Amino acid sequence: MPKLGTSIRITSALAAVALIAIAAAGAANAKPARQATTINGAGSSLVAPALAIWGPAYAKATGVQVNYSSVGSGAGIAAITAKTVDFGASDAPLNPDQASACGDCVQIPWALSATVPTYNIPGLHSGQLKLDGPTLAKIFLGQITKWNDPAIAALNKGTSLPDLAITTAHRSDGSGDTYAFTDYLSHVSSEWASKVGNATAVNWPVGVGGKGNSGVAGVIASTPGSIGYISVAYVKQNKLDWTRMKNAAGNYVLASAPDIESAAQTVTSVPADNKMSIVDPPKSAKFKNAWPLSTFTYIIVHTSTPQAQELRKFVFWALTPKSQHLINNSFLVFAPIPKVVLVAAEKTLNKVHS
Amino acid sequence: MASVDVTQPARRPFSGRRVHLGDVLLQGVAGLAAAGASALVLLIAWKVVDGARPSISKYGISFVWHVVWNPVVGREAYGAGSFLFGTVITSFFALLLATPLAIGIALFLSELAPNWIKAPVTALVEMLAAVPSVVIGLWGILVLGPALRSHIETWLHSGLGWIPLFGAPSAAGASLFTAIVVLAIMILPIVSSISRELFLGVPHELKEGALALGTTRWEMVRGVVFPYARGGIAAALILGLGRAMGEAIAVTQVIGGGVFIHWSLFSQGDTLASKIAAEYQGATSNLDIASLIYLGVILLALSLLANLTAQWIVRSVARQHGVTRGGHA
Amino acid sequence: MSAHDLAGPAMRIDRLPRRRAVNRLMELIAWLAALIAIAILGFVVYSVARRGWSELNLNLITKPPIPFSFTNAPQGLSNAFAGTLVIVGIATLMALPVGILVAIYLNEFAPASIRNAVGIALDVLAGVPAIVIGIFVYGLLVVGGGGQSGIKGAFALACLMLPFVARTTIEVLALVPNSLREASLGLGIPQWRTTLSIVLPRAIGGILTGTVLAVARVAGETAPLLFTSSLVGPQTSWNPTHALQTVPLAIFELSESPDPKDHARAWAAAFVLLVFILVASLTARWLAMRNARKIAGR
Repeated sequence: MPKLGTSIRITSALAAVALIAIAAAGAANAKPARQATTINGAGSSLVAPALAIWGPAYAKATGVQVNYSSVGSGAGIAAITAKTVDFGASDAPLNPDQASACGDCVQIPWALSATVPTYNIPGLHSGQLKLDGPTLAKIFLGQITKWNDPAIAALNKGTSLPDLAITTAHRSDGSGDTYAFTDYLSHVSSEWASKVGNATAVNWPVGVGGKGNSGVAGVIASTPGSIGYISVAYVKQNKLDWTRMKNAAGNYVLASAPDIESAAQTVTSVPADNKMSIVDPPKSAKFKNAWPLSTFTYIIVHTSTPQAQELRKFVFWALTPKSQHLINNSFLVFAPIPKVVLVAAEKTLNKVHS
Repeated sequence: MASVDVTQPARRPFSGRRVHLGDVLLQGVAGLAAAGASALVLLIAWKVVDGARPSISKYGISFVWHVVWNPVVGREAYGAGSFLFGTVITSFFALLLATPLAIGIALFLSELAPNWIKAPVTALVEMLAAVPSVVIGLWGILVLGPALRSHIETWLHSGLGWIPLFGAPSAAGASLFTAIVVLAIMILPIVSSISRELFLGVPHELKEGALALGTTRWEMVRGVVFPYARGGIAAALILGLGRAMGEAIAVTQVIGGGVFIHWSLFSQGDTLASKIAAEYQGATSNLDIASLIYLGVILLALSLLANLTAQWIVRSVARQHGVTRGGHA
Repeated sequence: MSAHDLAGPAMRIDRLPRRRAVNRLMELIAWLAALIAIAILGFVVYSVARRGWSELNLNLITKPPIPFSFTNAPQGLSNAFAGTLVIVGIATLMALPVGILVAIYLNEFAPASIRNAVGIALDVLAGVPAIVIGIFVYGLLVVGGGGQSGIKGAFALACLMLPFVARTTIEVLALVPNSLREASLGLGIPQWRTTLSIVLPRAIGGILTGTVLAVARVAGETAPLLFTSSLVGPQTSWNPTHALQTVPLAIFELSESPDPKDHARAWAAAFVLLVFILVASLTARWLAMRNARKIAGR
């Protein structure tokens, strides 16, 4: 004989569980109640090492947690456009379509770094390989396919290059490093500019894709004969070999902080939307040691945002000399931002309100 | 897929019976749940097609075979051709690789194996079915890829290099070939478990009758077991194919990425699913996002085709063999 | 070769030696195929287990990750384990009642035509690739709806679990003999109480089994979470209204890194995940056996 109690118990259990599920689903669509002391951001993997230092330092100074997810500049732009985060981070400035899709977004340059062609050639050590812009473009176009190609050998007299196939590595996700790299290639190679172009994600003629800076680093580290482009901090962290690039002045340089800082001097005045490109600095005595693949990196926020107060505090803090100095060290190689850019950054930051 | 003979499900209470409020409530709520579950499928299809609309209206059906994917603003052009190729090639070859092994294991477990081996081997196969795809992908990147690159690919190229499929081995561990092997390992357990149950489900009278006629074991398998299980095996293969086509994570970890159609299996590439996984988060232009969802539409259509075909085969086989399972196969 | 040939001319007795040889050959081939397959499967499982076991340590569960650590400070994946527990838990709470209700409707109330239709719909749902579910939930809940959250990730997982739970519940409900239902109805007990207090309790064992198996399956799902709960930081949080890190996503990210220390954590996490899934499957099988014995015994 079934007891009334059993059926009531089972019914109420089912009902309770269903109610919880419905309530939870309802709560999911309600505005998530963010604790006042967390700001969430996502985007560029180039600036992620800086945020890994800034985050804990800022939390120690103010108690505010900065939650950052390194998913690539493209994903950062998408996230801030969809307002799934409080701030986006991108090395690539917003293009007109992205700017209009993002609405009232502003981009604020808050750090200065570079991307570096990185290689894995058995027998060559770091800094030994010398390349120039047109040759690099030909490699990534798939026109130069072996390391002992005459074009490369001509730049590397005295170095014995192996008879090894070249494998190029690129970013498979939307990337600010890709933007800076393709920007540079478009400057130095008209064929690249017409065939491929410049964006956070392009149609690569050849090569293997890796997700994020660490993904590309992984491909290079495990593939003999490979060459790719990686943010400076990741090259150092993974002890990969970096290339000496020939800049417009004719000197072969490495991506050091002074050389990056030199490239940033090409900015004499900052446009209203803060969109700057500092790749391939022109041939002139001032830029004789400039690293040709340098890039600013931006934080992107909505002008009108509920987290305005916390965001302003955080970015002002990040732009102070002390914070900039925190990330300008031998590990991370972020160069100091030029004064004119700092002024523009703070001017834009003042526009952000709740 | 138990081979238990099940009873008919409950019928409605006979007419003239008093209807209780509780009956109405339970039937209502449960019916709502069933309607919701069915609607979910339609909702998914609708939402996905809706999301792809900008791309569908711009490119129409030719999107499916165009080999292009250029997200650069000012020269945007999208097409599914190379990814459809990647999906078809990887799934087809994965099935080719997995099927003989799966049937072999299934035959082994149902006919040939001594009893003490059956349990551990069955457990091994099920263990592999339980391994999440991301773990197989991890293993693929760190263990399989390098091993394939340094040994198998060079060996295949030197021996069979004249076949365009086996071009120059890639220096990177990531390639279509690695993805094929990974997918084969993933679908092997599914196909072999279903096959094994099918072989075990062949009625004993049929098998023993054949043996009584003086056939060898192989002739019995060929003449009785295979024909009987033929439909089910076909369904299992198609299910495996569907699984391989839909796998995004393990494939994107090992396939290398690329928008071209090369005949060599050792080149990089992308499938519909792996392209979505790689690019979706970072897509910012509306056309880019819509095109990625369009890839999802094509993938959904292919999976549905595989799924419905497998279901149809199973139902017609069940009818043929006179098995009633309460309307649910 | 069909059944007819079994008595045909090819089976003549004077061909026996040749037929025996062919039989031997085919048996050998089957053994070979099986051994190759076993070797491959065994190698994969062994490979993962060995690396995972050697990298296993308690830090994995107790310490959060430290992005860009230039020191050797101990780090782990505590945020991922917390997130997986929360998200899979919520997904089960969502899928279980709905799955049971669907099964009740199909088995106890629905006419054959609706049973067929919904059955097909459930099987179709089971065949939808996980990444398409991810796109679906992203478009439905995340975009314009306040962003990512653990609950939305749980909803995506629940969509994956639902057909599985429903299907196994239908099967166990159908196993409950009709005589029980008819006896109960004959005694004047309304159908709803028959279903809930007589039929359902008999099926609880099977339902539990199906649920545990469904949990084991979605605990390792990555693709749907990529769209719904991937923008996460290193802090450990139990709050599902934000995006939470999950173990499969953590393994995914670590797998592409060049740092061997990251690989170590990935193997260890994979090992824990695998053990969890194995224990769940074994528990499910034990429950099923116990249930079968109970039904046979009663």
